[in-house]
Amino acid sequence: MLEIALILIVITSITAIQTRYLRQAVLYLGLFSMAISFVYLMYGAPDVALAEAIIGSTLSTILFIVALQKYKIYTIYYALQADELEENGQLSIHKQQLIKTLEKFCTKQELEAQIIYSTEPLEHIIAQHQYALILVEKNDVITIYAHPENYKFDSLKQFLEIEAHPRYHYEFLKVEEDIL
Amino acid sequence: MNDHSQLLNRSMGIIYPFIILFGLYMIANGHVSPGGGFQGGAVLSAIFIAKYLSQPIMFLDLARVQTLEKTALLALLILVTLFITLNVYQTFIQVIPYYLILANLLIGLKVACGMTIIFYRFAFYESRE
Repeated sequence: MLEIALILIVITSITAIQTRYLRQAVLYLGLFSMAISFVYLMYGAPDVALAEAIIGSTLSTILFIVALQKYKIYTIYYALQADELEENGQLSIHKQQLIKTLEKFCTKQELEAQIIYSTEPLEHIIAQHQYALILVEKNDVITIYAHPENYKFDSLKQFLEIEAHPRYHYEFLKVEEDIL
Repeated sequence: MNDHSQLLNRSMGIIYPFIILFGLYMIANGHVSPGGGFQGGAVLSAIFIAKYLSQPIMFLDLARVQTLEKTALLALLILVTLFITLNVYQTFIQVIPYYLILANLLIGLKVACGMTIIFYRFAFYESRE
């Protein structure tokens, strides 16, 4: 029995690191806590086993899941020229297609996209607002600025390389901390 | 977690008394069997977490809970100091289990309050906005 639990610890800890979705990683951590509390029990430490089972696999799992729930909103600023917004919010087909691609990415990553159209200059958005991405369009090139703490940026790059846009080209930039 | 599931609400209503019973059992038998104040307190704090999962409403006055926690800590410190300095346990040996239960109860109260505060503080106040 003890050997099974020890092997389970190794397996769950490796899968918790290797899994792609954070939600699954949290669940694997809960399983890991359960297995390690069983190991404590087998080694004759029932008090420690109880504490580990209660705190490790219940309280911290719930805390992590609540935290993920809070981290879900993905704010995307689309910096437009003033005349582009004036036509009753009717964007061109290419822009709509771009937004749809980004929303598809967010759905795939279990995020909720919040897209804000803004006419403010880029520096102002970076300094004043909470954002995950800022899109700036210039001569058919979309420059995507990402927040320095944006941990989905690499997967976004991969996603946009597969889902190429008929008109726009992408350019990726990470906002450095010292610009802020 | 915003949708109020009828199923979850009902089942949580059935589970509450058992959580309380289990936590109190763990605290009361902490000195003779596995468990104790800390573990029992953590189980008791699960009541409020289960409450949050079924109905995410802020109904606690966190300042009051904090006062309760501090009072429990103060009482625990006074109890331990008195027990050690007065040397009662050398004359009345049968008083020790009661002392242990009382100390465990105070620890459990403190841990339950502390964990509830941490969880509610985190769930309702901390966010990116």
